[in-house]
Amino acid sequence: MSGRYRARIDGRDIEPADGWQVRILDLPHGLISLGGDAGSILAAVEGSGEEWWVTLRGRRLRVELRTWRERVLAEANVAAQGAAGPLEVRATLPGLIVAVQAEPGSDVVEGAPLVTIEAMKMQNEVRAPRAGRVLEVMVAAGATVAAGAILLRLE
Amino acid sequence: MTRLIRRLLIANRGEIAVRIARTCREMGIDSVAVYSDADADSLHVAFADRAERIGRPPAAESYLDIGAVLAAAARSGADAIHPGYGFLSENAEFAAAVEAAGLTFVGPPPATIAALGDKLAARRAARAAGVPIVPGLTVPLDGPQGDLDGIGFPLMLKAAAGGGGRGMRRVNTAGELAGALAAARREAVAAFGVSAVYAERLIAPARHVEVQLLGDRRGSLACLGERDCSVQRRNQKLVEETPSPAVTPDIRAALFESARRVAGAVAFWSAATVEFLLDADGRHHFLEMNTRLQVEHGVTELVTGLDLVAWQLRVAMGERLPRGVVDAEPNGHAIEVRLYAEDPWNDFAPVAGRVKAWRMAGGPGVRVDAGVSADTDVRPDYDPLLAKLMVHAGDRAGAIARLRRVLDETVVGGVQTDAGFFRWLVDEPGFAAGDYDTNLIAERWSAPPPSTQEMALAARAASYLRDVGPAASARRPPGGASGQSAWGIAARRGALR
Repeated sequence: MSGRYRARIDGRDIEPADGWQVRILDLPHGLISLGGDAGSILAAVEGSGEEWWVTLRGRRLRVELRTWRERVLAEANVAAQGAAGPLEVRATLPGLIVAVQAEPGSDVVEGAPLVTIEAMKMQNEVRAPRAGRVLEVMVAAGATVAAGAILLRLE
Repeated sequence: MTRLIRRLLIANRGEIAVRIARTCREMGIDSVAVYSDADADSLHVAFADRAERIGRPPAAESYLDIGAVLAAAARSGADAIHPGYGFLSENAEFAAAVEAAGLTFVGPPPATIAALGDKLAARRAARAAGVPIVPGLTVPLDGPQGDLDGIGFPLMLKAAAGGGGRGMRRVNTAGELAGALAAARREAVAAFGVSAVYAERLIAPARHVEVQLLGDRRGSLACLGERDCSVQRRNQKLVEETPSPAVTPDIRAALFESARRVAGAVAFWSAATVEFLLDADGRHHFLEMNTRLQVEHGVTELVTGLDLVAWQLRVAMGERLPRGVVDAEPNGHAIEVRLYAEDPWNDFAPVAGRVKAWRMAGGPGVRVDAGVSADTDVRPDYDPLLAKLMVHAGDRAGAIARLRRVLDETVVGGVQTDAGFFRWLVDEPGFAAGDYDTNLIAERWSAPPPSTQEMALAARAASYLRDVGPAASARRPPGGASGQSAWGIAARRGALR
């Protein structure tokens, strides 16, 4: 039963559409069709364990699936980690660092340009998600970063 | 002059290299793919009759390396080179080097590429030919204090060597000019190696409309209709359609006249596109002329029934355009959407990763030009265009309905694509009415959250696969699919649950 799992998307609990029938078209690639009273829809599913990705109507959604046991463990983990620390600013896309505007120790306002990343020949400025002091800058101009790489820490 | 092409080297990668190889096969021409180390297992390599390695993954060390491409042509015994779009396609030095090596360059003459590649020289030439240009400079801007010739704000900064939206910046006020100029110059140097930037008046609202030209070496010129490319992000096209819903017969006649005049100002043959901005009053303003095949040439092929690559090759061999091509009448309506690995919910930022599920649409009136398939890596080294989805129908409403069906049949897993944006677009009332301009995404796309139903379906799909997916593949009987289809497995698992 899919009721074994609690599903979360964007931090919200989601009730699975249990009335819809799943048909597998290509299992190794996770290609399925979902059929219900409202018609049918194709989807792609990837993942394992607690982390899943489902692409529906061209949109890729991250679905967190937890059994009761996994939920208890995760909650215990969060409690152990305590309050939120400094904010890590990450690269939203892979590319080449062409300029670093942020200076360690300086205060920045929300929206201030921090780092310029060139990807697919376009220059993109990474801006401060909130005001704060720059604690540490992890990258330098000329470096290549992957999507999700930590660029700097804001206090 | 007859220069037979028996073996064609395709100096490109991805979907356009596949597309050119297809025409080669139909014409009985041997095709030669080139590839960097990143592309050794790519679709375009598999499609061609033979393949040559040209270097390491960075484009500068492979697809942009003139010496490496020419060496590959010599090794493979090619007698001609098709540059596709991007990379070396508008590099006059490359075109000249190809000819100097005794090979046929499939494109306009090198001097024409050089003349039109300098966007300021092209503006001067168009103006001299009596074609209205976007008001602004015809010389580079000196610096933030330079003479703006009274253009006023907002204005656009553009790279003099530019194209493709690179080195382009919108400037709203005089105070923003210095910063925007520095950014535009950085980008221009990175993309073209030339820092010269000029300023044009911002025309808004505007539609981006372009005219497809095809010419032979004897001066015959065909205007094969216009394409509306107004759905853009980062000044780069996402959707193209022909005919343009904004173009009346009078506007079309004026666009064609201007396009012919620009082409008439230079020695021209092969395929090219003249780009214009169409303002709210229906007046057109010359932007640039691209001396190559465009990404979006397929919609023109659908409505005219012509194979533009085949005609490029025939013209390169010295053939003349017959009457049927010069006077080709478009039929019906065609729309293309560009399937990119990028995230419309994160400002259309490019994404890298591995394509997993890959299901493309088929059926009547559908053409898919793809450069990838399942289990292909999308690398940050190159443009993240995965495929072009094209539809053709008798009228625009039919084409939109067909596109909606195509998007419902299309599934790409593993990486986020812009397919979700297109699914929204086909139901957007303004788009359906043909009422949109280059600000459509900025003004109307709000990156809406997923619906409750979509989330419930995603949760259902993930839960089901967690229960049966890996278990089903792990427990598949020896000998693989024989005697048991995936459907059978799914049904049995369903019964067990």
